[in-house]
Amino acid sequence: MNTVAEHIADFLKEYKPFDNLTFQELSDIATNIRVINLEKHAVLFQNNDPLHENFYVVASGVINLTTIADAEETILNKCHEGDIFGLRPFFAKNNYMMTAKAREESIIYAIPIAVFRPFVANNSDVLNFLLESFAVNSRHTKDSMNSNGKLVSDADYIDQQTEMQYIQSLNYNNSPLTTQSNSIIKDVAILMTDSMLDNIIICEKNHPIGIVTNADLSSKIATGRYPITETIDKIMSSPVVTVLENVSLAEAQLLMLKHNVTHLCVTKDGTSKSIVKGIISEHDLIVAQASNPGVLIKEIKRSQLPKDLKQIRDRLSDLIQNSIQKNIPISHVSNIASEINLAIIKRAVELSILDLGSPPARFAWLSIGSQGRKEQLLLTDQDSILIFEDVTPEKYREVKDYFLRLAKRTTSILEKVGYDYCPNGHMGSNMLWCKSLSDWTKQYNSWMNTPGENSNDLSSIFFDYEIVFGEAKIEEAIESVIFKNAVNNTLFFDFLGNDALKRNSPLSFFKKFITEEDGPHKDKFDIKTRALMPLIDGARLLILNANIKGIQNTYLRFKQLAITDSKNAEIYLSCAEAFLTLSKFRTVEGLKNDDSGQYINLREMSKSDKEKLKNALSPMKDLEELIKSKFQLTQFS
Amino acid sequence: MLDWLKNINKDYPDFWKDYLTKFETRPNKFVVLSTETSGLNPDKDVILSLGAFSVIDDSIVIKENFETVLLQYKYLQDNGLSNEFIIESKMMKMPEPDALEALVNFIGNSILVGHHINFDIEMLNAALERLDCGRLKNEALDVDVMYRKLTDINDKQFSLDDLCEIYKIPKSDRNSSSEDAYRIGLLFLKLKSRLGIK
Repeated sequence: MNTVAEHIADFLKEYKPFDNLTFQELSDIATNIRVINLEKHAVLFQNNDPLHENFYVVASGVINLTTIADAEETILNKCHEGDIFGLRPFFAKNNYMMTAKAREESIIYAIPIAVFRPFVANNSDVLNFLLESFAVNSRHTKDSMNSNGKLVSDADYIDQQTEMQYIQSLNYNNSPLTTQSNSIIKDVAILMTDSMLDNIIICEKNHPIGIVTNADLSSKIATGRYPITETIDKIMSSPVVTVLENVSLAEAQLLMLKHNVTHLCVTKDGTSKSIVKGIISEHDLIVAQASNPGVLIKEIKRSQLPKDLKQIRDRLSDLIQNSIQKNIPISHVSNIASEINLAIIKRAVELSILDLGSPPARFAWLSIGSQGRKEQLLLTDQDSILIFEDVTPEKYREVKDYFLRLAKRTTSILEKVGYDYCPNGHMGSNMLWCKSLSDWTKQYNSWMNTPGENSNDLSSIFFDYEIVFGEAKIEEAIESVIFKNAVNNTLFFDFLGNDALKRNSPLSFFKKFITEEDGPHKDKFDIKTRALMPLIDGARLLILNANIKGIQNTYLRFKQLAITDSKNAEIYLSCAEAFLTLSKFRTVEGLKNDDSGQYINLREMSKSDKEKLKNALSPMKDLEELIKSKFQLTQFS
Repeated sequence: MLDWLKNINKDYPDFWKDYLTKFETRPNKFVVLSTETSGLNPDKDVILSLGAFSVIDDSIVIKENFETVLLQYKYLQDNGLSNEFIIESKMMKMPEPDALEALVNFIGNSILVGHHINFDIEMLNAALERLDCGRLKNEALDVDVMYRKLTDINDKQFSLDDLCEIYKIPKSDRNSSSEDAYRIGLLFLKLKSRLGIK
């Protein structure tokens, strides 16, 4: 009789696969358990360790299962209470293929395999569950998540790399070589050699009927099986695997693997009964993978020079352009783009630290403005602030000096990458915006409690921030200062509200676009200040007022507001949609002209696009009214 | 002089002689021990139940446990207490001499771990004296002392519940010496890794 073993059996019977066993069986198992305590970050086993005699159940805490690839730790799975892991000894003899590490202090039950194996053999449900779990734990396929399995309890790990592959488009050869089935092999080979291609499509009335690649030539001609004077149809591989024009990277990969071919023929309607549009080779896939976001981030982490970062940023522009052409949701694209931007800025800070030596105090580098809102798709100007922890007065000068130098260096690296300096000087390299935590707290206090007095240096972009590098605690401290001050602060909201409303309206009384009257952008529509900024300002104002923390993105802010303030949900949702539409217009324009896309040339726009743009501007009126009534503002206050 | 020592030895019961010989080797495990007593006076009060687990290689070995209820009918009768507890309990029951013999065999030369372990040892020593045995020779560690050493607090004591709360060990609704021993065991593992005890 063992009381504690019975308690453990009680615990186990709640979880798969133990729920298939009787209480008596569980007590027997529990009696043989060893209980292990893992301190935070303690490693239970790591990659390539010899197998243990036990598998494990999490009794409390969280265990991360990770693999290390390319010197980077990737989390395969997080195991919570009741989850089982370390199943390899059941099924394989080779060493562990992953690392199990405690994410927080955890208590683990070690169940000896020898004790458990008989139950597995006698109970097929248990065996199946273990097999499934093993598969899930070893490979990280989130689609193999089974609804009843306790194992894959965490879905928030999103493999952005694979996700992006599904939507990433391919560049391929749009003008493939074609020939008739009665051509002579020798002529075809000469044609291929002259045009430096390794494949040719054999067509009949422009429809593909076969393909000849270098592999066919070497296996069928060079071996002497066919003379070079034969017609090409004797050696072609047929039929050809055909795909639609806008095939994604992942799909192309799958098709090649499925049919075991190296080339895919692109046709107009995706069948072999239509016109040939191009050919995708394995090489195209490799090229496409090189501008995959995951690869880009890895490269950023490795790059040593601003010029490398610049090249990566250029590839990001390609990626964004491709994605937009393929009609991928702009919110999705901006998520990925902002991750990459973040990585670039982070790397820039790192490079500066490498140059200047380690910082004398803890600090946080915050992106503010559009990057802070994760909405930076184009190369816009850089906005940032630097907050360092409080130091003793005698050290203050020295510390501030270091951080100013650090910020100068970082901003100059970023400038080389292609982010222009902020024209208003909102950068960490500015004396004003590189301060200690208590100075920043004072700054925010004075901005929020006495707005207007020093309004010339208050810019609302300081209320959109995201930590890029350094201590997260500092960001939290600033956030709590802001939200503490925001409660019932009518004066501040009045100020922000008026700020949001003072923008010039986008449409004239007669519903015509108001365009720039003079200057270099004459007759162009300023989409940034006239359309996007009011939405951004409105969202920020309302979210601060609603005291909702942690949502920095305009689109998500509107979505969240629709939930919290359901009375006006319709307005918020239409604003969210409008914001996406407008961002897309701006991005397309920016990519076209290689600038920030602030001014849109209406003359180059099609009529339907103009209508779309006008429609996207209509929710702004409602938002304006909403803000006016909510904060009791009139135009004249 | 040596003869005198041998004579003393001869008076001990056999299990105690065995116990003494175990100390010729170094201890290779810890035993977490918890007792439930009728009160706080080692001379008058008695042990009602015992719970113990082995801790080997930084893990609690559930199989190596010892738990028993002591049949203290006489004590309960003398003090006019109910013996319902003994009758109701499903745990293994033993008369005091058998229980102590089994416990002494179980702990061997291991290092004892407990919460305010000195009191447990006093109670055991008092009971052992009634069996004409000597005092326990094991080294002993107290989780409360370990915690205070870790945090450098000298001016107060921590109850087992306090410590469990600090380290977020769930309280059990069923209270028994074996339960307590298990909780002390978990505390000991946590403190042990923090203090770096091998």
